[in-house]
Amino acid sequence: MPPLIGPVSLVAVASGPGLVSYNTLVVLGGVATVGFAAGVVGSLALLRKRPLVGDAAAHATLAGVAAAFLATGRRDLPALLGGALVAAVAALAVLVLIRRVARTRDDAATAVVIGVSFGIGLALLAGITARGIPGSGGLEQFLLGHTAALTAGDARLLAAVSLAAVAIVALGFKEAVVLCFDPQFAAATGWPVGLLDLVLVALVAVMVVVGLPAAGAVLVTALVVIPPVAARQWTDRAGPLLVTAGVIGLTAAVTGVVVTASRPGLSTGPVIVLAAALICGVSFLVAPRRGVIAQWLARVRRERRWARGDLSAWDLADADEAVPLPLPAVSHVAAVPLRGADGK
Amino acid sequence: MASDASLTVHAWAMATAAMVSASCGLVGGLLVVRRMSLLGDAIAHAVLPGIAVAVLAGGSLGGPAVFAGAVAAALATVWLTQAIHAGVGLAEDAGAGVVFTSLFALGVVIVTLAASRIDLDPECVLFGILELAAFDRVRVGGLLVPRAFVTAVVVFLGVAGGLAASWRWQVFTAFDPAAARAAGIPVGLVTSLLLAATAVAAVAGFEAVGAVLVVAMLVVPAATAELLVQRMHWLVVVAVGVAIAAACGGYALAWRWNTSAAGMIAVVLGGCYAVAVLMAPGDGILARAIARLRLEWRVAREDCLARIWRACEAEGRDAAHVGDPQTWLERMAGLWLERRGVVRRKNGCVTLSDHGRREAEMVVRSHRLWEAWLGRHAELPIDHLHPPAEWLEHHVGAAMRDQIEAELSAGQVDPHGRTIPPEAAG
Repeated sequence: MPPLIGPVSLVAVASGPGLVSYNTLVVLGGVATVGFAAGVVGSLALLRKRPLVGDAAAHATLAGVAAAFLATGRRDLPALLGGALVAAVAALAVLVLIRRVARTRDDAATAVVIGVSFGIGLALLAGITARGIPGSGGLEQFLLGHTAALTAGDARLLAAVSLAAVAIVALGFKEAVVLCFDPQFAAATGWPVGLLDLVLVALVAVMVVVGLPAAGAVLVTALVVIPPVAARQWTDRAGPLLVTAGVIGLTAAVTGVVVTASRPGLSTGPVIVLAAALICGVSFLVAPRRGVIAQWLARVRRERRWARGDLSAWDLADADEAVPLPLPAVSHVAAVPLRGADGK
Repeated sequence: MASDASLTVHAWAMATAAMVSASCGLVGGLLVVRRMSLLGDAIAHAVLPGIAVAVLAGGSLGGPAVFAGAVAAALATVWLTQAIHAGVGLAEDAGAGVVFTSLFALGVVIVTLAASRIDLDPECVLFGILELAAFDRVRVGGLLVPRAFVTAVVVFLGVAGGLAASWRWQVFTAFDPAAARAAGIPVGLVTSLLLAATAVAAVAGFEAVGAVLVVAMLVVPAATAELLVQRMHWLVVVAVGVAIAAACGGYALAWRWNTSAAGMIAVVLGGCYAVAVLMAPGDGILARAIARLRLEWRVAREDCLARIWRACEAEGRDAAHVGDPQTWLERMAGLWLERRGVVRRKNGCVTLSDHGRREAEMVVRSHRLWEAWLGRHAELPIDHLHPPAEWLEHHVGAAMRDQIEAELSAGQVDPHGRTIPPEAAG
């Protein structure tokens, strides 16, 4: 796996020679795949203008994890994530139900589901911890994410589900793009828009659940939100956007794993999110055309041209923005008849 | 003696929780009606780095430096979100999603790295430190009071004072920002004040229940109150009441079941909201179901009476053979009417009491008047007149019947040629 050589040698430097086990490698690969898939799926959610759709589901997963532990009595990752998925779907269902039966506004309904579902999770978790149920140690790692405890088998499961999600996106890419950019056209063409939206939300829920071990319930939303936002700065085309977001998510995930491997007290989630935020901040600044610096330069150049009296030639990139008419010209036109009236 | 001491500790913690919850509920009322619930969530997360930096710089939890740091972080969140929106054209919800998760992550990393030097760690960031609040006490007028409780009271008074002083402006801005701006109200300042109040309440809430559950304290009481009352000032009063009750109830349950007070407070809040959705007067699920059922029951009763009356009219006598009812509800209505003596059976025939006949006549009168009116004004073919009349006959009162009759002023006959019964006397 050539792409892993860089980070792996970093791990080797950070944790000393001889500590890079096969297990570490597989975990790194698994979490990297999760980061990639989260970026890809999140891009579609961003294009569909629902970037935060996974937030309520993410906070609810904690209750699912705790309940699954109580039901099975073991800390078995597939079972815990199964519980998390059930809880995530239940939270989304409750959200839909509230919209149907109560006159609570959408944002308040989302906040209610986030707060209450996380409260249920926290109460269950604290109750389990307080009773010292054997095998419950480490459940709190699902709050902020912790990859050190993952086994190779767990990582393979995460990678397999993530790859499946990416495969589904690849298969339905054409439909997804039309759905995102022109839902009316999609509906008029006879596509099941509701079903496609449901698949998208389901994919986000799955990515939130799969991202749980690495990023934790509180911050896993960021895994789906930040990489697409950063990638959006670099491209205007859907295909490259998905891939760029995936690569940014992968980079952030790998950074998180590598950094926390050398700082045992640090949770993985916050580090992944900070890495993604850093990439995002840099993208806001330096991206070509959309970046703050590029826009500033374009404005300076434009104003210089205007100062020279050259109002005709701005390139296509400038014309894309709504450029206001140069002010002197307008006031000049307005002033002409007034003067004429004075003269009479 | 020992249990006495523990009782005092729990009572103080519960009082602290109630005070904090009240502050959050108060702010939450405005957040919810302004559709800023998720901004409240974002602020609750984003105050963490502000708090962490202030504590790192030597401020103590609950001290003025921490509040200043938190307010700065909250305003920075909003400013950053808007700057990103203006700078690179990112939608504000996505922008907020980026900013608050990043700031929260930053806060967690600072707190983790500095955990050995400050009295904050990721655990209390997520769970709150309500249970420990009672052990750190200060002397207030001869009484040993937990510092956290004093802070919570000061925060409540500050938030309540700030909002009360700007209340009219707050409400005007919340319901019609454009008109408020036109009326010369400094809308930006009013909003900033609300954001600052949210940040201050969020800091108090953060100490009590942890960063993530502040959103429950902010939004759920107001969302509950909104279902129960119509007026803004009552909304705030009910929200504060729900917040205090849920805080006490949640703490008590957590104590009893030996679990996290923060989590149980959120669970009890969720319970309050669910009860409100179910039981709210007017448009709660239950109220709507009851109203619907009552309507359907009246329709079934009236249909049953009208069917018997029509059968009698067709056969030209007081008793008639009537076919089976069409719905189970109408069958139930028939049995009920029979029990009440309104409908009587006599050797295979059915007859109506005087009272029942009058009621049936009014239904049929409504039906036929409506058909006649439709026939004149709606240009419907004659076989399309029955279905709308069949539904509207249950909703036409005496006043409207008279009005239609006066307007028709033709004979007492419907478009099918059947007589329209006269209005009942008295």
